[in-house]
Amino acid sequence: MPEYTVLAVLAVVGVLALELRALHTGLLGTRAYWIAIVICYGFMIAVNGWLTKLTAPVVLYDPDATTGWRFPWDIPVEDYLFGYALLTLTMLLWDAAALRRAPADGVPEAAVSAVPAASAKERSA
Amino acid sequence: MAAVDRYQYLLLMAACLVVTLPLEFVFGARVWRRPRRLLIALVPTVLLFAIWDIVAIAREHWSFDPSYVTGRQLPGNLPLEELVFFIVIPICGLLTLEAVRRILERAD
Repeated sequence: MPEYTVLAVLAVVGVLALELRALHTGLLGTRAYWIAIVICYGFMIAVNGWLTKLTAPVVLYDPDATTGWRFPWDIPVEDYLFGYALLTLTMLLWDAAALRRAPADGVPEAAVSAVPAASAKERSA
Repeated sequence: MAAVDRYQYLLLMAACLVVTLPLEFVFGARVWRRPRRLLIALVPTVLLFAIWDIVAIAREHWSFDPSYVTGRQLPGNLPLEELVFFIVIPICGLLTLEAVRRILERAD
């Protein structure tokens, strides 16, 4: 497999492993997360599409480093894995930061919006 | 080639910040207003992806058209624009997540 393809798959596996083995935020089981990912992908297609369009590319890819599959327009499919890992890692750390902070730490609202509360609410809805 | 073209990448990032700003102040995302938590989420992410980027640039997985970037480079031949990307895009993602949470809370 081409190098960027391998690294992109490993990044997604790594982020998922971080959640399952270490962080345990519960983010991946929430409706809000998946809705947010779908919305982000919509905007990502616009931003990434602009950066990678072959008519006037800002970023140029070595054909040997990718599968060469580009969709839609000229977005390398590997970029979706890259973007998924980037967004999900940030969201996981964001929630982990709130979960680990005691309410006495001075930012009680962080604990209020932590994921377990949100997911419990979603399950009951 | 117009001079403004060299700011294409940076202007695109600025547009991302402007477009997502209402999520903070209209939808109540409260991401910008929790800077400490934001830093905890951003620092490891930016570091990891900057390292990936530096490796990928060194191994020529991708490169940048000099017409559309400022040419300012950080250590490891990392274009300034890429660092900005790794800060801006995660913030947009967090604003989206928190805005969706606020909307779902209101719907419940």
